[in-house]
Amino acid sequence: MSTALIELENVCKTYNQGQANQVLALRDITLTIAANSMVCLRGASGSGKSTLLSIIGCVFPPTSGRAAIAGKQLTRMPDRFLTIHRRATIGFIFQHFNVLPELTVLENITLPLMPLGVAPRQRKERAERLMEMLAISHRANFPARQISGGELQRVAIARALINTPPILLADEPTAHLDHPLSLAFMEIMRDLQASGKTIILTSHDRLITEHPAVERIIAIQDGKIYVP
Amino acid sequence: MSFAKQLNLIDYSLSSLWRRRFKSLGVMVVFAGVIFLLASFQMTTKALTSLAAESLAFAPEITIQKMRAGRQESIPVAYQARLSEILGITAITPRVWGYYFNETKGANYTILGLDPLSMPLGDQLGRAIDQRRLPREHEVVLGRGVQGAASGSGSSIISLFRPDLSLKAMTIVGNFQPETDFLTYDTLFMGLADARDLFGLPPEMVTDLCVTVANPSEVATVAKKIASLLPDTRVVTRQQVQKTYQSVFGWRSGFASVCLLTALTSFIIFAWDKASGLTPEEKKEIAILKMVGWQTADVLALRFWEGMIVSLLSFVVGYTLAYVHVSFFEAALFRPILIGWSVIHPSIPLRPTVNLGETLLVLCLTVVPYLTATIIPSWRAAIIPADSAMN
Repeated sequence: MSTALIELENVCKTYNQGQANQVLALRDITLTIAANSMVCLRGASGSGKSTLLSIIGCVFPPTSGRAAIAGKQLTRMPDRFLTIHRRATIGFIFQHFNVLPELTVLENITLPLMPLGVAPRQRKERAERLMEMLAISHRANFPARQISGGELQRVAIARALINTPPILLADEPTAHLDHPLSLAFMEIMRDLQASGKTIILTSHDRLITEHPAVERIIAIQDGKIYVP
Repeated sequence: MSFAKQLNLIDYSLSSLWRRRFKSLGVMVVFAGVIFLLASFQMTTKALTSLAAESLAFAPEITIQKMRAGRQESIPVAYQARLSEILGITAITPRVWGYYFNETKGANYTILGLDPLSMPLGDQLGRAIDQRRLPREHEVVLGRGVQGAASGSGSSIISLFRPDLSLKAMTIVGNFQPETDFLTYDTLFMGLADARDLFGLPPEMVTDLCVTVANPSEVATVAKKIASLLPDTRVVTRQQVQKTYQSVFGWRSGFASVCLLTALTSFIIFAWDKASGLTPEEKKEIAILKMVGWQTADVLALRFWEGMIVSLLSFVVGYTLAYVHVSFFEAALFRPILIGWSVIHPSIPLRPTVNLGETLLVLCLTVVPYLTATIIPSWRAAIIPADSAMN
């Protein structure tokens, strides 16, 4: 039986708490995700799935409730330690890829290693392994603005993997990809899961929600887990 | 580990500055300009003060001038006799020292008339002259600046106007050596009688009496005694002149520095504004960096290194340009402010000196305020929440 890597209990998140524009984004979320699984968070825009992804991704702690990610309690954890925990545990793949267009592919991939003091040669070696795995080695020295959408996403995947995190989060990863590229993306995710990664995706793309590699769909509606 | 991290951050700072090269260059150009102005001023003041000190090293220990109604007038040579009872005076040399304005050339010359043989070591004055020969009657020795301005035609005769506008022709018998430029650049050196004739002074009068004192520590005492014996004179010691120079240059330099510090303040406000005004791309970049694991302190360090690189490069460029400006262009921008009336003199070569203390002073006045002014905008940038990259 798989061990729980992510445990949320009665998690709530309120933005602008105590102010006139207060927004209750998540209410009483209780959720357990096992290690080495692939889960999809599904919900309409504004349902709270990105907020949930941010809490799982250690971007910010919940307003209330208990959240334990890879064995660490996030509640009341200072921002500095959240960041340290995030970079050791989480790899992010963004909807818009969020690569820096003026940097080369290689520089983008190695960005997470810079504040860790990893020497340039080691950074390059680690990035080259990932670029080879994702078939983008030939683009290593191209500025990111000059490569295609599919390649940009592979750059984002390589950047998410450079710190070898156990958890990979992808926010609407196929929103800007055509069908063949979306399929290719899911194949990569399947391989990564096979190599031991825990993968959490947010999407309402049926290609993802109905993909055989996705073991579980968690529906979010109005900040709550929705059970039909 | 930490050192390696800082190296990585410096590496990233350099590439970041290069990516925003037009904005970075704009800040650097303005900053280097402000540093150039401040450093030029400081170097010019220092060079002038040094030159003044050098010239005073050769000035008489005590100069006596006759005063009437608060203004200087000619002094009778006979006053020497009244000082004979003061012990400690080695020699008293009558001197005619005045200025001659050459309207045609727009230049102001210093006329020095004395009898070198009547002053201590006067016979050695010839060493400063290229022909090694002191001027005799109707002869003159010129400073290099006067040689250029007055006798460009190659003539060996120089003609000057007496007060009654009659011409006095003199034969040029030599020039002062280049090493004596600061003292002699604008000087016409002639015998006492010729100088009297040029200025229309009676034979028994000179402009001042130069007193040589045997023991330097007794200068003040001797000066006091002279003042009490000759109450209608002004007795000026070399030290007093030195103080006057320092306060004149110091005041002018201080005044100009206040103006330049205002420029520096304006620049700091400009730097603050530039550092505060993050473009949407810059905000996005910081959010992405934070999302991929950079801490607020890392972003802050990145901004600090960017500021450090910009300010140090600007400092090196500004300071080097200031040195070139003072050395090779004789501080053309500031001469009128610092030297004042003497701008009509033939120009005096300036020799700026670079020492650690002065360099650190300019560094503290420019780089430190810049870094301080960019701290808060940098901090504001660094606290951009990581999740803004997801929107």
